[in-house]
Amino acid sequence: MAATLKPYLTAVRHTLTAAMCLEDFSSQVVERHNKPEVEVRTSKELLLTPVTISRNEKERVLIESSINSIRVSIAIKQADEIEKILSHKFMRFMMMRAENFVILRRKPVQGYDISFLITNHHTEAMYKHKLVDFLITFMEEIDREISEMKLAVNARARICAEEFLKRF
Amino acid sequence: MILLEPNNRVVEETLTLKFKNAQAGVKHESIDVTLADFDGVLFHISNPNGDKTKVRVSISLKFYKDLQEHGADELLQKIYGDLVTATEEGYNVSLLVDLENIPDDWESLVKKIGLLKTNCFASVFVKYFEFQEKGEEGAKRAVVHYRDEETMYVEAKADRVTVVFSTIFRDEDDVVIGKVFMQEFKEGRKASHTAPQVLFSHREPPLELQNTDARVGDNIGYITDYLHYHIKCSKAYIHSRMRAKTSEILKVLNRARPEAKSTEKKTISGRTFRPS
Amino acid sequence: MPGTQQEIDVAIYERSGGDWRRVDQLDQHDLRVTGIDWAPKSNRIVTCAADRNAYVWTQEAGGKWRPTLVLLRINRAATCVKWSPEENKFAVGSGARLISVCYFEQENDWWVSKHIKKPIRSTITSLDWHPNNVLLAAGSTDFKVRVFSAYIKDIEGKPSATCWGTKMPLGQLMAEVSGSAAAGGGGWVHDVQFSASGQQLAWCAHDSSVSVLDAADGNKVITLRTDQLPYRSISWVGANALVAAGYSCCPMLYVIEGDAIKLAAKLDQAQKKEGGGVSAMRKFQSLDKQSRSDADDTSLATLHQNSICVTRVFEGDRSSARRISTSGTDGLLVIWDVQSLQSSMAGLKIK
Repeated sequence: MAATLKPYLTAVRHTLTAAMCLEDFSSQVVERHNKPEVEVRTSKELLLTPVTISRNEKERVLIESSINSIRVSIAIKQADEIEKILSHKFMRFMMMRAENFVILRRKPVQGYDISFLITNHHTEAMYKHKLVDFLITFMEEIDREISEMKLAVNARARICAEEFLKRF
Repeated sequence: MILLEPNNRVVEETLTLKFKNAQAGVKHESIDVTLADFDGVLFHISNPNGDKTKVRVSISLKFYKDLQEHGADELLQKIYGDLVTATEEGYNVSLLVDLENIPDDWESLVKKIGLLKTNCFASVFVKYFEFQEKGEEGAKRAVVHYRDEETMYVEAKADRVTVVFSTIFRDEDDVVIGKVFMQEFKEGRKASHTAPQVLFSHREPPLELQNTDARVGDNIGYITDYLHYHIKCSKAYIHSRMRAKTSEILKVLNRARPEAKSTEKKTISGRTFRPS
Repeated sequence: MPGTQQEIDVAIYERSGGDWRRVDQLDQHDLRVTGIDWAPKSNRIVTCAADRNAYVWTQEAGGKWRPTLVLLRINRAATCVKWSPEENKFAVGSGARLISVCYFEQENDWWVSKHIKKPIRSTITSLDWHPNNVLLAAGSTDFKVRVFSAYIKDIEGKPSATCWGTKMPLGQLMAEVSGSAAAGGGGWVHDVQFSASGQQLAWCAHDSSVSVLDAADGNKVITLRTDQLPYRSISWVGANALVAAGYSCCPMLYVIEGDAIKLAAKLDQAQKKEGGGVSAMRKFQSLDKQSRSDADDTSLATLHQNSICVTRVFEGDRSSARRISTSGTDGLLVIWDVQSLQSSMAGLKIK
């Protein structure tokens, strides 16, 4: 399983590097507006073909790009019910703190667990290669964290069941 | 690892203090304490009619009626004997302790009173264990609505006594974490061979499958509390981990920010210092 | 030397001795300034911005720059602006899917504009004037490069025929090519530029391609799809040499050899900068803020730390540039020596 992680992340990294070539772009539809084209979707020539990179059925990344913004949506692996609620809780927790994360979208794109919206303002103010690094690290860490939390809950359950039943 | 105790520690400690003070000859002080226990149980420790030498411990259980049907009164009479006193208004059982007449083994007395709640529960089990021992079958199933959304069923068969706890998790997430715990309980017999067999089921008609096949001690009444307590702890733990991870990930994002142009600093000798 | 700050103000810097000094600030726009061009002969500056306005700035006796509003008659953001070679008119591209060709109307004492609309279907990203002062090349986000006539009969004489065509009323479409003809799809065209002779037109598009069209050779297009990130800016530095720069943060020199465009050199010989001693204080700061102990890998190996958006000839001209300047979204302006590079193809120095 681990053997497929590296190529998966490498593919995501390269796609992100290529997709994150953004420039300032004022709306050509609404006067004096400058909005992420990937969100407003008013001029189809300003949108690039979305790319989906899948590691397996459940784990995949959707990269939608446009002239001034890209949207990266991540579906996290959820092998069983407990992983599902853990990832759901975790993502909700982070999205409630979206203002700290700057590039985090408050709602995920449908079918995904979490979405990031990166605009030209972000790439102008921050190092692009580090933004890519961040997204990759994020994907690695979330998987690991969810597995660890799951193990911790299981371990707790086992110990307390044993302790309880020992009394008989 | 915290295990919930079947006794009520606050009641015990309050009484211990009372007894110790009385023995040491400290002047009796009036007492009026109301305290809550699990399952919506209320204790009231007070001086009846303002008599500071007497301490009355009353307990209120919402489901006492259910327990009475199964001989709770008789059992309590048996255990507490003379201590049982006229029931205080609004409570189900009252015990009275005389501070001017402290028995030598007052410590075991305190223990006994601390177990008041457990003993209320015990009546049901005692009755059904007797049924089982005598091989009586077909007795009416006991139903105790010990909490708003939790019900306990006790049934005696020739070869076993079955205790069923039906509990409702309000939160979907609790259901899942609860299942993880129940799974471990089910497998927990490995730890102790004398432990009762535990089965669980989720969303099934309770009496069909959700059986906890139990040959049990008195403290089984606490299993759902125990479960709820640990689920809460698990959630708190998950939450703290998420918080830590989130701040860590935020730091990774910070790496993308160019460092703010640091303002000029003077060295001690007055020369300008620019961090490279 | 004027430079935009990607903000609503334009600052003018003067080079005195080895340092750049800010001497003036042109603050009329109320949204991001998107384009600026300087007319060297008449010493005028034109700026355009996302607030849909353009100003022509003239320098007064005291050295102060005075703005004159230009009536662009557009209702979307202006994106780019270029003086014509004779400096009697300039063109402004915009998100209104049109080009405003602006000229000074003597009787009204007024900068007015005429529009080129058809067949532009998206935002104009870049403009460049043919040396004959009439033809205008435009790149657009509709993946097309076009050459229009921007002939204003009120102010100039009838132009003579060129290899691009003979009839040139205002708005006449002289040529139209897909951004990346060879590949079919192409991408948003980021920059266009005529060669010094005016016969060739070079452009770069979002599919990381560099293309050259030769009007003297039956509008033949040669394209190179590079393995770099897309270029945002392209500039002729010789009869057969181009410098392109963009999202890879490193300007690249390309040469045309026969029917092919070839990579000749990287202007930025990327070298990992020597990390000086890291102070303990800094180490803890970076641990605290970024949870890592070494902050060395933050910066890119290239000089520019973010994408390069403008490349201009600084010394010399398009037929033979000696030095060029690049500026990027990282706020840096870098001057590169290309002459020595072209002659020796080695030993590049950064001044």
